[in-house]
Amino acid sequence: MSDTRPLIEMKNIDLIFGTFQALKDVSVSFDSGELVGLVGDNGAGKTTLIRILCGMHAPTNGEVYFDGQKINRFNPRLAIDLGIETIQQAVGLCNNLSIARNFYLGREPVKRRFGLPFLDFEKMRKKSESVIREFGLRENVSADDEVEILSGGERQSIKIGHAVEFKNRVIIMDEPTNHLSVREREHVNRLAVQLKEQGLLVIYITHAINQVHGISDRIVILENGEKITDIKSRDCTAEELINIIRHGGRVGLAENRG
Amino acid sequence: MRGAIKRFSKRQDFGAIASAGIIFIVFSVIDPSGWLSLSTLANVSHFSAILGFLAMGEALVLISKEIDLSLGSIYGLVGVAFITLAESLGIVGAFFAAMVLALLLGGINAFIIMRGNLPSMIVTLSTLFAYRGIIYVWTGGTIKSFSEAARAHWLTRLFGGEFFGIENAVVWAVLLLFILNTILQRTRTGNHLLAVGGDAESALSHGVNVVRTKSKAYLLAAGLAGLSGIITLCDKPQTHVTLGTLMELEAIASAVIGGCILTGGRGSVIGALIGAFIITSVRYELIALGAPSAWFITFVGIVLIVAVLFNQALSRWLLRSSA
Repeated sequence: MSDTRPLIEMKNIDLIFGTFQALKDVSVSFDSGELVGLVGDNGAGKTTLIRILCGMHAPTNGEVYFDGQKINRFNPRLAIDLGIETIQQAVGLCNNLSIARNFYLGREPVKRRFGLPFLDFEKMRKKSESVIREFGLRENVSADDEVEILSGGERQSIKIGHAVEFKNRVIIMDEPTNHLSVREREHVNRLAVQLKEQGLLVIYITHAINQVHGISDRIVILENGEKITDIKSRDCTAEELINIIRHGGRVGLAENRG
Repeated sequence: MRGAIKRFSKRQDFGAIASAGIIFIVFSVIDPSGWLSLSTLANVSHFSAILGFLAMGEALVLISKEIDLSLGSIYGLVGVAFITLAESLGIVGAFFAAMVLALLLGGINAFIIMRGNLPSMIVTLSTLFAYRGIIYVWTGGTIKSFSEAARAHWLTRLFGGEFFGIENAVVWAVLLLFILNTILQRTRTGNHLLAVGGDAESALSHGVNVVRTKSKAYLLAAGLAGLSGIITLCDKPQTHVTLGTLMELEAIASAVIGGCILTGGRGSVIGALIGAFIITSVRYELIALGAPSAWFITFVGIVLIVAVLFNQALSRWLLRSSA
């Protein structure tokens, strides 16, 4: 039983903000070594759903299991400790801090001097320097440079490098290629596939099916806070999926299922 | 060498350091006998230290993208508590009670702001009035002072006395500057303060406890303001109800002159202390040169604007010349 158990299982999730129901009875599960495209129009509830996984929201109703364990408290620290890392376009890097400081934000290594814990800059620089080189940043970027000077693609590369470095089990990529150049986009998508091949669960959120259809194993479509499709990528074409989104899920799935 | 100069010129507090140097030289040239006398330098450094404690605390709060308008009232109330409680608790007891009070007042600020999810500007404006009001209620408007024995007590001397001709207040300010700068630049707490001020959501996504981090800034600021009140009264053990009035604004001005920005994430405690020096020395020297003292508060405003403009022009000029 245990080997077929999904890594993450979300059961009958409702999330209500005031009078607005952001998620309606969503049940979905994710496995290790899988690249899942989470797709839907703006406001469909994609980001809200993953905000539960990264501990920013607690569901109003429903249950979440991680590796078979029921999650009772939702906070970002717990998500980080479980090895869930979210890569978002606008969030994750503080512009005013150096790359090295950003890289270890929240789990800064310390070196004791006179019994007091001081930041271990040497280690922070060394590790982030190697990520800068490995993940294809410009040659003249150093670990001491502020994140402010990086391009959008470089920022995403840093976040992905961070996720890999800290041996996470789940990488959630929220619209990771918005505002990126074509080359940078391909670079990021290649990294996503690499992560999956290393056995990580990658949840790739986008509103553009074409972005993710080619690289994903499975596509989950949300619409108005509800899950309307959950299908293997090879069992359908991108066009069929776009059609589903276009009609807000009112087109049946039967004709799409192989 | 070029790299070192470039790095130095990119510091948040570079403008303040340069301004302070220029002000010092200009005053030495136009008023060599008055400005460069031991008593002037002792006074200026003493008042800079007193204001500097508040400025450094305010810098930490500003860096975390908050603001504390109640520091002047905390300064006054804690000072009053120190003097008043000394009668019943003794000097040492009163010191600890007053410091606990300072942390309590800062804690109240942090609690209301964080729990109520309210803007710090409004909450600390309210506590500015509320804490000041307690001074009126507690003292009934009367002046309290130390007995001769209390003035001679070792703890009073430790904070109010001199050390080889240097006012102890200055020694404490420099010591705390070193500690606070180390905390800000070289510890996890410092990294979190900068991160929370720069981008709270990103900090949160890395598991940084935003509420706890910001609360630390309020507690440190209140503790520093309280200590400053105690140090002031150890030197001149007499309270009046207006003790510390407007000091929070001078502290904010000092922190801003020192390179803090109101949008958070950037700033320097070194700069804040130097900013306090700039405000204090301009005040002192203008009065010494015969400017009417009533104009002082106007001068603070002018100094603030000039300093900020100078900071901006300087960084733009450096950016161009280093490119």
